[in-house]
Order: sequence, then C-alpha cells, then structure tokens
Amino acid sequence: MTKINSICIIDDDPITVFGVRKMLSLVVDCDNISSFVNGKKAIDGIKEQLNENDSIPEIIFLDINMPIMDGWQFLEEFIALPVKENIRINIITSSIDAFDKDKWEHYQKRTDHLITYNHKPLFKKQIAEITKKTF
Amino acid sequence: MPKGDHIDTNIHLIKQLPSATAFVNIDFEVVYASDKWMELYKLKRTEVVGKRIDYLFTDSNSDLADTLNDCLSKQVDKTFEEFNYDPTGKKWYEWSCNPWLDEQENVIGLILTTEDVTQQKLTETNLGRLRSKLEIISEIGKIGSWEYDIVEDKLIWCSVTKKIHEISDDFVPNIEDGIGFYKEGYSKNIISMAVHDAISGGSGWSEKLQIVTAKGNEIWVRSNGTPVYDDGKLIAIRGTFQDINDKVLTETKTKANEKLLHTLIDNLPLNIYIKDTESRKILVNKAESDYLGFSDPSELLGKSNSDLYDSDIAEQLNREDQTIMDTLVPMINKESSIRDKSGKTTTFLVSKIPLLDENGHANGLVGISHDISELKQKEEKLRNLVDVASLQNKKLVNFAHIVSHNLRSHTANFSMLLEFLIDEKSEEEKKNIIRMLTNASDNLMETLENLNEVVAINTNAGLEKKPTNLNKKIETVQQNLTAFLKSHNATIINDVEENVMVKVVPAYIESILMNFMTNAVKYKEPNRKPVVELSSGHQNGMTILSIKDNGLGIDLKKYGDKLFGMYKTFHQHKDSRGIGLYITKNQIEAMKGRVVVCSEVGKGTTFKIYFNDED
Repeated sequence: MTKINSICIIDDDPITVFGVRKMLSLVVDCDNISSFVNGKKAIDGIKEQLNENDSIPEIIFLDINMPIMDGWQFLEEFIALPVKENIRINIITSSIDAFDKDKWEHYQKRTDHLITYNHKPLFKKQIAEITKKTF
Repeated sequence: MPKGDHIDTNIHLIKQLPSATAFVNIDFEVVYASDKWMELYKLKRTEVVGKRIDYLFTDSNSDLADTLNDCLSKQVDKTFEEFNYDPTGKKWYEWSCNPWLDEQENVIGLILTTEDVTQQKLTETNLGRLRSKLEIISEIGKIGSWEYDIVEDKLIWCSVTKKIHEISDDFVPNIEDGIGFYKEGYSKNIISMAVHDAISGGSGWSEKLQIVTAKGNEIWVRSNGTPVYDDGKLIAIRGTFQDINDKVLTETKTKANEKLLHTLIDNLPLNIYIKDTESRKILVNKAESDYLGFSDPSELLGKSNSDLYDSDIAEQLNREDQTIMDTLVPMINKESSIRDKSGKTTTFLVSKIPLLDENGHANGLVGISHDISELKQKEEKLRNLVDVASLQNKKLVNFAHIVSHNLRSHTANFSMLLEFLIDEKSEEEKKNIIRMLTNASDNLMETLENLNEVVAINTNAGLEKKPTNLNKKIETVQQNLTAFLKSHNATIINDVEENVMVKVVPAYIESILMNFMTNAVKYKEPNRKPVVELSSGHQNGMTILSIKDNGLGIDLKKYGDKLFGMYKTFHQHKDSRGIGLYITKNQIEAMKGRVVVCSEVGKGTTFKIYFNDED
C-alpha cells in the first residue's frame, strides 16, 4: 500500500467525505486524513499548518459547490500560498457545466500543482489511481 | 419767271436772287448766276460766265448734259439730285431745271436752281435706317402694331400683326375681325370690354390673352392699346400686338416644374432644408416645419440653429454644418439624436450635402433628415425581447445544470454507498451505511420538492395577480411570525404607506415577505438586537419595497453573483439551505418584478423589491 503522510478532503457533503475516507482506507496507508466542510475552513487550516511548519497534505480532494468559500475560491488562495512541494489536487464534482471544466483548465495552467478533475461518484479504482505516487 | 432780254436790265435783280440760280443758254453756257449760286459752289463770276455748265461739273455729274438736253428738247421741268463732295463732308444738292423762255415763248435756255438738301437727305437716311431697324425688332420680337381709326371705322394691321394672326398680307381686317380672333370666353370678353372702355372712356389697356389664329392655332399674345386724341377729340386707338406664346408656355412649364418640385419636397416623408453659410434656413419643407412646430415653412426662413435649438444642440449643429462647408465632404446617413426645444429627442438619419457656387466654394448646404425614432423604438423593443429571451434561456440552462448537479450528487452517493454495502462485512458498518442511504434518500426527496416548487413558479402562469394592500400583507406575515420574532428579540418597523396597492400573486407575496423577514432576523449580528425596517417608494411607475436589516451583512464582491443562486449559502448557519432566496427571486420575477440588494459586512443588508403592475 502506498504510504502517504497527509490527505485532506474538502466537501460539505458528509456522505462523500465518508465514502472517500472509506475508499482511502482500502488503498493507501495514511495516518493523517483530515476533512473540512468548506473552502474557508480548509484554507485556514492549511495556512496554520504552513505557519507551524507542519507538513501540508500531499493529496487534496476538493468539492466545487460549497458554502462560504467554494472550490474555485479555495484554489485561488491555495495556489498563491508559498508551498514548495507539488500537491495533487483532485476536483470531485457532480457538475457537468462546461464552465467548470474551463475553469479547471484555466487553473491547471496557472500552477505547478497537479490538478485533476473527476465526476461523482468516485470509485475505489480511481482513488487508487489518484494516490499512486507518480507525481 | 423773267423772260427775254429784260434779263440784262434785271441783272442786279438776278444777282440778288435769294436762291442759288443759274441761267444757261441753249449751248448750256452760263449767262447769269445769282450770288447764292456762286457761293454754293465757291466759284467766281469770271470763272463761270460764258462757260458750259456741264464742263463746270464734269467730275461729279457726267450725265448732266444728257439731263439738260432732255429738259431742253422736251421743254419740261426736271428735278434731280446731285451728290457732291465738299471739304467739310458729304453734300447733297437738288437741282431744279426749268426751260428759259423769251417773250415769244421760245426756249432760249434753262434756269437752274440748286438747293442744299444734305440735311434733308441725312434725315431721310436715318429714318429709313430706323424704320428697317424697327422692322427687324418687330420681326424678331414678334411685336406688331395696329391702329383703329375711329372716325373712319378703319382697322390697320402691320405685316407682323398679320403674321401673328396667320393671315395673308392682303387681308383687310375690320374691328369685328380683330376681336373675333380672340379665344371665346375670358380672352374675348376682356378685349371686348377693353376696346369698349377705350372708345367710351378713353383708357388704354395691356392684357395677356389668347387668340385663335386663322389656321386654328391657339396662341398667347400681349395686346396693348392707347387712345389717340386730336384737339381733345378721340380719333383713334393705336397699339402693339405681341406673340408671347413661347414665353408663356415656357413660363407655364417652369411654373409646373416648380410646383412639381415643391409638391415633391413638401410631401416627401423626409425633413428637407437648405441653409446658407451662416446656417440660416433659406428653404424648408413641410415636414421640417411640422417637426419644428411651425405652421408654415416660410416662418422658418432666416432662422439659425440657435433660434431653433437649445445652445448645446445648436453648437453641435453649427460645428457639423461648418465642417461640411469647409471640407466640402458630404455627410451621408449619419444617425443623430436631436433634442428640440420642448425637450423631446428625435433620432434622425441625417445627410448634409454642400452646395457649391461657380467658384467651387460652398455657399450653403442642403440637408435631408429621416426620422427613424419609431424604427429605433421598435429596434429597442426587439432588443429587449431578445434580451428577455436570452435571459430566459440562460435561466433555463442554469436550471438544467442545477437539476443535473443536484440529482447527480445524490445518485452518486447512492451508488457509492451501495457499493460499500455489498462489500461490507461488519454489521455495525452496514447499519451505518443504511442510515446514510436513508439520509441521502430524504435529501433527494427534499431536493426534488424544491425543484418542483421552482418549476411550478416558472411555469405556473395561471396564478392571477391581484391588487393587494402591501402594508396589510406585512402585518399579516408579521403576525404569523410572532413566535419566531419574539424568540429572536426582533423589532419590525413597518413604514410602508398604508394605502399602497401592488399587483401580486397573494401566495407569492406572503412567501416573499416571510423569507426576507426571517432571513433578516436569522442572519443577525450576534451583538445587536435585530431591527427590520420596511418602507415603500415609487419609481417609473413601479412600487418599491425596501427591507433593511442591521444584521451580518454580506460581501457582495465575493458572493454577489451567487446570492440568489440555488443551494448557495454564505453563512455558517444551521438553518441555511440555500433555497429561500432562489425561490423568492423566482417568485418576484414570475410576477415581472425584480430584486436588488445592497449590503455592508457588519452593518446590514437592504433588499429592494420592484413590483410591476402589468399583468
């Protein structure tokens, strides 16, 4: 099993969070899986980790439609953070709006972090793919 | 007539004769000559007496001898003219040649009298020249003359007058003929009366009339007549007669052309005007004078832009006019909106073309303006319709995405949880998953209900709008919310005018008021008692309801575009579902109204609802 130090799930839907956690437990070895219910809480948490020189998540699962701060707003702030490592960010959404896909491509070009895009529902196979240390 | 030898005794008498007279014998030798004769020819007596007279004048008159012979043999009086050159110029002399008889009536010679007729001759020549000139003028100008001798009842026409009547030169007209040529009706009546007046009252005339010529041609003539008096007695009427047919026809044609042009200009549905170099109007058609509010185009003549428009518009027009006249480049179909003095704005398609003088400089311009206001309004309406349609379309697409997104997120959860359930060994975890499945099912149910409600609002046009008293409605909602308001310590201030009526769907207005009022209290600032103020206003025929709170406020820069979106929430609040404002907005728009928001974080939020009274 791949060993990953820290994974973060950002989604306001508890069922999705439960599902992702469950699938992760089957495919990776990770002791530190955190989750946030919106972008605001997530970015605040990551900023705090950066300040305290804690390691920040290697993999982020990111929902788009969330209250307070949505996935895009989170990305906007995240890519501006002084993060040295390349982080893998997986957008998981139930949106089929072409507008969202355009936005994803836009962010891909703006950062060295690897951003991927998946539709819900997410399956174990995909989770395994995402967590392979190929980045 | 002196005769015979008595001459000798009367020599001094002959010498003193008052006329230039010379006596010659049958051999044409000068016997006597009067001093006058000598003087006339500037000769001395010794040079003349005894000399043959024809020799004296051989230079100028070679056939003088023949004439004298003729006169002598036939014993008749003769008069001839002699042309002489004199140092002072041309001279004409008239010779009278009479036989000289003795007492027995025998011809003994000739008596020659010479008279200087130069003056007479010159006058005659001038007269002749004048006459021929007159004839030419008369011929070219087709001006004839006529005279009616009242005493003799005789009418005389000159040849030109006859030509105009198209009659032969030998035709002898009488006064009835003269009048008879005039065209029946107006022309004949006028001329009859004019002639009658002239004969009885002695006044003249000058009339433009029509005659029918002998060949049946109808032509226009100018007939003039002037009475002629002798010793205070009217003896004749004299006048001229001119063929003015070409002139009248040309004039008529010009007038017809002018009228055609005027009719055309006046009736074209375009504003047409000509301006001088100072932008003063020198020609205006009816449409332009109607537009500027003048009853007659002539009232506009000489008026400048500043006479007709407010100063800003006048300046703009002056600049435009000057540019065209300076550059000589015509302006074609420029769209311009012009405000008249009443404040009304009209949109025109304006063309202005410089008018050039013979030196190629502009001496004015001609303007053509086409009023396209109505077209513009239609265009505007059409654009609004397109906007509405595209907005509707956008809403529809948006809604489709909402539906797809919401259903997808639920079904995704279902399939994920079901997959877990199949592989799950632990009974405890199975129960947990089933609990979540039930939750997901409830959420899906609720989502479907919400979507149903939105669809109902957008499709249910059958709900009738009824005039509703806004103030009373607020009171009702306030009463229904009494418990909720009390538990939050909230104060509602209803400042809405008591008699304001709005046309609304009653069920919607209650839901709208309820939603805004509960939101205002729900998202209160924790350190303040919530106060909600409701007030009314009017704008462009719409009633505006303002709902102002002192709550948390919202960062519109961040969330403005999502505020009314479905399932968008902005506050960490347990009751936030992100559906209320979405439904409220749909209800307001279904009633053709709109809603706007302004807010300041930490101070509060104001929603303004615009009610549309149209059905």
